[in-house]
Amino acid sequence: MNETLPISITRKGVNLLKFLRPVLGAIILLFIVYRLSQVLFVQHTYGPETWTRLIIAGLIIGSVYALIAIGYTLVYGILFMINFAHGEVMMLGAYTCFFVFEAFKNIKVGTDPVLTFSNAYPVVSIIIAFILGMSVSALTGYLLEKIAYRPLRKAPRLVPLISAIGASIFLQNAAQLLFSPQLRDVANPEILARGAGWKILINGSSVTIPYTGVFTFLLSLLLLVSLYIVVQKTKFGRAMRAVALDKKTASLMGIDVDRTISLTFLISGALAGAAGVMWGIHNSMVYYYTGFIPGIKAFTAAVLGGIGNLPGAMLGGLFLGIIESVGPAALGIDFQLKDVVAFLLLIVVLTFRPSGLLGEVLAEEKV
Amino acid sequence: MKTTAVRSLRTGLTFGAVNVFLILIGFNAMIGILLAKALGAQVITSIPAVPYLAAYTGLIGLWSGLSAAWKCKGTGVACSVLAGFISGLAAGAITFLFCLGIGWLLVSRIDFRNYLTILSFDFISGVLMGFPPLSGALVNLGILAASGATGGLLNGAVHVSCGKRLGQHITAWVRTVTGKVRGFNHGKGHLAFQIGGIAILAAAVIFLPLNWGSYWNYVAGTVGLYVILGLGLNIIVGLSGQLVLGYIAFFAIGAYTMALLNSPVPHNLMWGFWPALVLGVLLAALAGLLLGLPIIRLRGDYLAIVTLGFGEIIRILLKSDVLTDFSGGPRGIQNINGPTLFGRPFNSDIQFMYLIAVAVVLAAFIYNRLQRSRTGRAWLSIREDETAARACGVNATRYKLLALALGAAFAGLAGAIYASRNQFTGPEEHSLMASINVLSLIIVGGLGNVPGTILGAFALKGLPEILREFANYRLLTFGALLVFMMLSRPDGLIPSRRPVYRTPEESKPDGNEPEGNNVS
Repeated sequence: MNETLPISITRKGVNLLKFLRPVLGAIILLFIVYRLSQVLFVQHTYGPETWTRLIIAGLIIGSVYALIAIGYTLVYGILFMINFAHGEVMMLGAYTCFFVFEAFKNIKVGTDPVLTFSNAYPVVSIIIAFILGMSVSALTGYLLEKIAYRPLRKAPRLVPLISAIGASIFLQNAAQLLFSPQLRDVANPEILARGAGWKILINGSSVTIPYTGVFTFLLSLLLLVSLYIVVQKTKFGRAMRAVALDKKTASLMGIDVDRTISLTFLISGALAGAAGVMWGIHNSMVYYYTGFIPGIKAFTAAVLGGIGNLPGAMLGGLFLGIIESVGPAALGIDFQLKDVVAFLLLIVVLTFRPSGLLGEVLAEEKV
Repeated sequence: MKTTAVRSLRTGLTFGAVNVFLILIGFNAMIGILLAKALGAQVITSIPAVPYLAAYTGLIGLWSGLSAAWKCKGTGVACSVLAGFISGLAAGAITFLFCLGIGWLLVSRIDFRNYLTILSFDFISGVLMGFPPLSGALVNLGILAASGATGGLLNGAVHVSCGKRLGQHITAWVRTVTGKVRGFNHGKGHLAFQIGGIAILAAAVIFLPLNWGSYWNYVAGTVGLYVILGLGLNIIVGLSGQLVLGYIAFFAIGAYTMALLNSPVPHNLMWGFWPALVLGVLLAALAGLLLGLPIIRLRGDYLAIVTLGFGEIIRILLKSDVLTDFSGGPRGIQNINGPTLFGRPFNSDIQFMYLIAVAVVLAAFIYNRLQRSRTGRAWLSIREDETAARACGVNATRYKLLALALGAAFAGLAGAIYASRNQFTGPEEHSLMASINVLSLIIVGGLGNVPGTILGAFALKGLPEILREFANYRLLTFGALLVFMMLSRPDGLIPSRRPVYRTPEESKPDGNEPEGNNVS
């Protein structure tokens, strides 16, 4: 955006920055190339089977990030606020998944003492888990907007952010008080048993492609594509884009702005709920803090792709997932530092593309 | 009339849902225990006696009745009572269904504690007031409806006797009092007011620490350090308008500089407090500058997420095994030496309290001078409209970097003192939650002014310590209060006033706009 301001270019500080940025980029690039060549050609730390495993794990987690990131991007596109409580909406979806499977585990079918409902009708129980999880999260998102954000629509921009932070803290602690702080294991139906999967042989050792992972990945792709179609093709999608562009004009054209915003929160909540259920099925660890880290990561992904941009969020999510899973190995550093790699990637990308990978330059009022 | 009924019904249903939620998190038991303690009764178990639980239910009903009657459009007492009754009844109906549900659990002896952690059999029978399920649920319904009607009656009675509704009455009263105080502050008594205030504050700062005991000194010290942090973040967010979410990273840099230079493990450098303090401040400022250089082009939320990432990077690096040899890893650094002044070591909380008080005064002074200087005005112009500021010849890049570096220096100062006082620092002290706390405190207090920051620090760091009774509910209440605060006072407890240009001829008193701070 600075390029449009000829005054600032002559300034010393900006000149320094203009000089600094390419140098910084070159250093980073050199470092990455050096480490990559070290890892790939000199040390041979990991064989192809490890790389495959890492990429598979990255794709799975990336698709979950993408689903959550869509929620951030949708809300940001319309209200220009960071919905900080979005991760907690996802956490409630994960809890719903836990409760549904727990209930079905305890329902016995027929005379067989071991046959439970979730194993007798696995497809039905998975569908019910998704429907309930998505509705609980959608309802949470809707109520959040109604209680904590709607009265603040005209307030300065930091105010809804703090309100969202408050809501996030509230939801986390409510979940802790209601469901106790212990870590829960989700009882999957047997067809989606954790750890089971197709085995393929690479380089003499077998690599498992987990069923839960494939399920998660395909379902999130399906949801992402259908959301994209909804936004691009339907009347509601058009209304949503119109409200995102200009609320006042949209309302003059007969669009109910409040209703559109509520629906946006419902949709983003439902997607987060689906992500939560998938998290429960694939990762199993469900507790009150479940939503926090994926929430932050998904927000990072949304910014990485260019916040407010739907394909950007999807791409950013997958990209972030793969980078944080493959990155530490590729650079030959400790796996504990995967979050460092993820956030460094963010800083580097934003240094060179200040509005994200696919982000358009936002108008002044919006930034 | 019909709308009143519908509205009361809706209020009642909301209160019913809230009541069920509060019961499920065990809030009723806590209130019951507090009531019992207040009345001097002995409480041994975690579940108070039935009368206290009934009193809690009554309070909820009263509140629901009051709030329904408050919104009631009609004027008569009868209308008010009716609204309260309807609302209490609706709340009771929801609670009734809930009680039937948990009553069924009790009767069929299903232990549900694995899923909803509060529902032990004792607790359920407490909620049912010791009756069998159906009558217990009915008793709950009765209490809620009756107390709802009482609430309505109360509201109506106050309305009749005072001519105004209760709420309006209170707000009107508050407004006159604050108006008077404000008028005093601006009129002739201004100077006297300020001198008096400063004298009282100084006396409090000098004499209170001596008589407080170490716990309160500790709490007050924490509040003081958070005031410094808040002022530093205020320079960045409040004055120059850059939203920074990873602010605690600079605090961590200050704390770790102090720790590494003044602790026997891992390096045993023992530089002493003062050089380490200076170095910590300088290093934090340098980190602010270095972080700022590549990302100064970013605006708004992009900046927020990048700084958040920076904060997390610092924390994860400190926590990981990679840096264990250098900075102690997840266990942190212990036995950090305290400062010495003229050969006398600081070892009590009182001395640290004085040190922190001096630091707070220094920080507030610097902040105040900066705000009113040319630099402060440049920041303000950047905050309001960066493009326009650049067009007017303000070097936005330089001023934004300066704000980052100065804000980071404040954090470094607070961090160094913090580490030295606690004699410990570890990675988990510098989590994202701490950054968010600082941001919340400056916004709750009122963005961009010193009194607001101090009040915010008290509200967010002091109150939780005072409210120890709430133990488990502390963070829950904190979150709810944050939302509530933003809904009721979006400009903070003490809103900043915009500087107003007044020409001598136009002697209008106070031309400040109602719109306070607009950070965009």
